Amino acid sequence: MDETTYDVFARKNRGDVLYHIGYVNAFDDDMAKVYAWKTYDEESWFEMCVVPRPAIIPVNRNQGPFAKSRGAAS
Amino acid sequence: MSEARIQAGDLDESTRAALQRLILTLADTKRLMGLRYSDWVLGAPSIETGIAASSMSQDEWGHARLLYAMLKGFGVTPSVIEHERPAAAYASMDPLDGAFPDWAAVVAGMVVVDGAATTALEAFSRGRFAPAASRVPKMLAEEEFHASLGAAWYRRLAGAPEAVERLRAATEVMLPATLAWVGASDAAAAALADGGLTAAGPEILAAYRDRVRKLVAMAGVDVDAVAPAATWDPARGRGPGAPEEEVVERARGDRNRALLVE
Repeated sequence: MDETTYDVFARKNRGDVLYHIGYVNAFDDDMAKVYAWKTYDEESWFEMCVVPRPAIIPVNRNQGPFAKSRGAAS
Repeated sequence: MSEARIQAGDLDESTRAALQRLILTLADTKRLMGLRYSDWVLGAPSIETGIAASSMSQDEWGHARLLYAMLKGFGVTPSVIEHERPAAAYASMDPLDGAFPDWAAVVAGMVVVDGAATTALEAFSRGRFAPAASRVPKMLAEEEFHASLGAAWYRRLAGAPEAVERLRAATEVMLPATLAWVGASDAAAAALADGGLTAAGPEILAAYRDRVRKLVAMAGVDVDAVAPAATWDPARGRGPGAPEEEVVERARGDRNRALLVE
């Protein structure tokens, strides 16, 4: 089993938006949670979440700059 | 346990000595656990794991410092305890005497040894000793991450044919002395339980077996079939050995002690 990349999101205060603050590579969700908490510990976070990158669903990959860059490459 | 909180000065001499032994073995275990984690900051399987090992090492040293500080109430100077004792006076858990030889042993240590310290601290925090009730809960909150990482890695290595034998061997080596430590039932341990300062040894031992049973079974170890080590040093509340001199020199900070300006 290979590692999965997890994106890390956090907010400092209640009511703040969640910011993307980085990523970690981990074999499972439990490891990812610890890695994220221990790696991005420079702030006293109100909330932190990790999301496995494969769970992120692209919305506009066929439009705009994505399509233009694909066109330039072909 | 009783709700009335007490300080060291409220205890009779023998119970105070027993409590001092408990605090010292917890503190020394934390100090050496931190060093053993620090050995793997470089060399862990991934950079994320190395960062976690670094953070856990800091956690353990912070816990040790808080526990050593509790000894002020016993007429002890914490700086002397931290920096001037020989290895033979250390009361840390036996499996920390030598370095963890490989990552499987580190993972076993997270589950078996760190888990035992947490189980003992949980019982201590529920007792009548006021400093433990106020300071230990934060340690336990930080330990949740150690337990989570230990369990995740234990499951992973237990499912890997090339790793499970090493994991099983490390677990079997660590368990007997750990069971003796966590389930201590000698006169000092009995005095602490009688005084409501922590739970009785058999109760803590049962909680510990419950804590690790399912995990270590994944490596083929039946924790209920493992007997506690028979050898015991009642003066320190651990087995009769001692940590390697090299790790104690690091714990004391010998190498650059002369440069410390206080």
